[in-house]
Amino acid sequence: MKALPEPNVPSNTVTYFLKEALRRTWTSKRTSFVAIIMIAISLFVLGSFLLVADNLGRAVERWQGHTRVIVYLNADVTPEQQRAVDAFFGAHPELASRHFVDKQEALQRFKTYFTNLAEVAGKLDENPFPPSFEIEIDPNLVQSKSFLALTERARTLPGVDQVEYDWEWTRRLHRIIELLNVIGIAAGGVLAMAAAFTIANVIRLTMMLYREEIEIMRLVGATERMIRGPFLLEGLLQGTIGGAVAVGVLALAFFAGQRTLAPSSSLLWGFLFGAFLPWQKIVALILGGTVAGWFGSWLSVHQRAEEA
Amino acid sequence: MIHFYHVTKRFDRYSTALHDLTFQIEKGEFVFLTGPSGAGKSTLLKLILRQITPTEGQVVVNGRNLNTIRRSLLPYFRREIGMVFQDFKLIERMTVFENLSFILTVLNVPPKEHKRKAYAALRAVDLHHRLNAYPLQLSGGEQQRVAIARALINDPLVLIADEPTGNLDPDMSQDIIRIFADANLRGSTVLLATHDRDLIRDSGRRVITLEHGRISDEKIAVPERAPARADHVFGLAQ
Repeated sequence: MKALPEPNVPSNTVTYFLKEALRRTWTSKRTSFVAIIMIAISLFVLGSFLLVADNLGRAVERWQGHTRVIVYLNADVTPEQQRAVDAFFGAHPELASRHFVDKQEALQRFKTYFTNLAEVAGKLDENPFPPSFEIEIDPNLVQSKSFLALTERARTLPGVDQVEYDWEWTRRLHRIIELLNVIGIAAGGVLAMAAAFTIANVIRLTMMLYREEIEIMRLVGATERMIRGPFLLEGLLQGTIGGAVAVGVLALAFFAGQRTLAPSSSLLWGFLFGAFLPWQKIVALILGGTVAGWFGSWLSVHQRAEEA
Repeated sequence: MIHFYHVTKRFDRYSTALHDLTFQIEKGEFVFLTGPSGAGKSTLLKLILRQITPTEGQVVVNGRNLNTIRRSLLPYFRREIGMVFQDFKLIERMTVFENLSFILTVLNVPPKEHKRKAYAALRAVDLHHRLNAYPLQLSGGEQQRVAIARALINDPLVLIADEPTGNLDPDMSQDIIRIFADANLRGSTVLLATHDRDLIRDSGRRVITLEHGRISDEKIAVPERAPARADHVFGLAQ
């Protein structure tokens, strides 16, 4: 006699939840796909902002390690004026670590940093870059009143055009990074909410599809946990998959960009393609998807339970 | 085991399904509930399963007042009741075995026991050979028997059936009554709603007759002729 095929027995409640969640996701694959894509898009946007902000932050940190004052001289500065300025710095130990950048070196640096503009710079009749002194200073000194008074005095020396501080730049960049983070979180948050509502609707549709089954479950004594569990897990899975897809696409885009764009114009792309997100942020992005998915399914499951 | 105290159920101002019903069914009893279509049989059964609540009066089942039972306790209450629905309520996407196994999962029965219990329940209704069939591949009578197997699978304290022989031929109906009688002998209190008077006539059981939502008659169905064997009284005749 031919043996009957082995029936499929779920080993425990969690296995049952997981099996059901996967099956339901597969059954309504089109709507589930939309929900996953929505989550992925929102987290991709958030991830992109985080990535840019992260790389800018790293660049700023690098600059902060070498806090500098740049003293630009007039283009027509005389050698005497230049020597006088140099002597002034030499007389003050906090400004003594200095390096003179002549017009030619300034032009060369521009060509190195902005390779795609190098050709334009080469066609100029006259070198427009002024000579300057770059002074490395102790980062702890920069905010002191005596130091500020000293730089104010340097500003009045003959032959000196401008005195610029790196930390003003970095402060501005910090503000930009903060803004990028806020925009990223706000845009990502709004999109994640939209994605959560999409998931809520997907789960609601699935619950309507299974309403007879839910009724039977209630009548035979299934607890709300047993009924809701697979639906909650379904949203959670969709959110997690969406988060993983977002991180995957972001990584692909980043590494492709790093290979193709970064070498062509070193400064800007070098900043943006410095390094990918740290693992903590990758995990946070994926967990963000998980939470959005769970929230979406919780919304619809809660609402349907109230209606029941 | 089942107590109704002045129970009235109105669905709206113009339709009253049950009028001031008072009766009780003791533990271990086997009771037939009969009456014409629309008499209120299904409504009464729904009240016992707490699918609906009474408009007036109290329903107490196994010591629990169903008017005041907490929503969170409802699943645990329902697990003590085996219900055979008129429309079977089988899950179509699940096989016969999975329909039964699912109940065992709900009841937190260890998975190791699923196969044994499901097989035993299906064997009792002579359907163990259709373990892997889907409900839609079965005849109405077979679906009915799967629904009965599902209701019996955990030896419920109370077994309720709404027209369980509605889709069956007389011989199969007798077999089904025998299954309920077996469950009754194992300790389940049985309430079986049917409008099949032939089934009741020689049963020797208590019969509650409903008409227009009221109890019109309540008696023991005494066989007109003495049965050849006492088994007939208990529905055990083969």
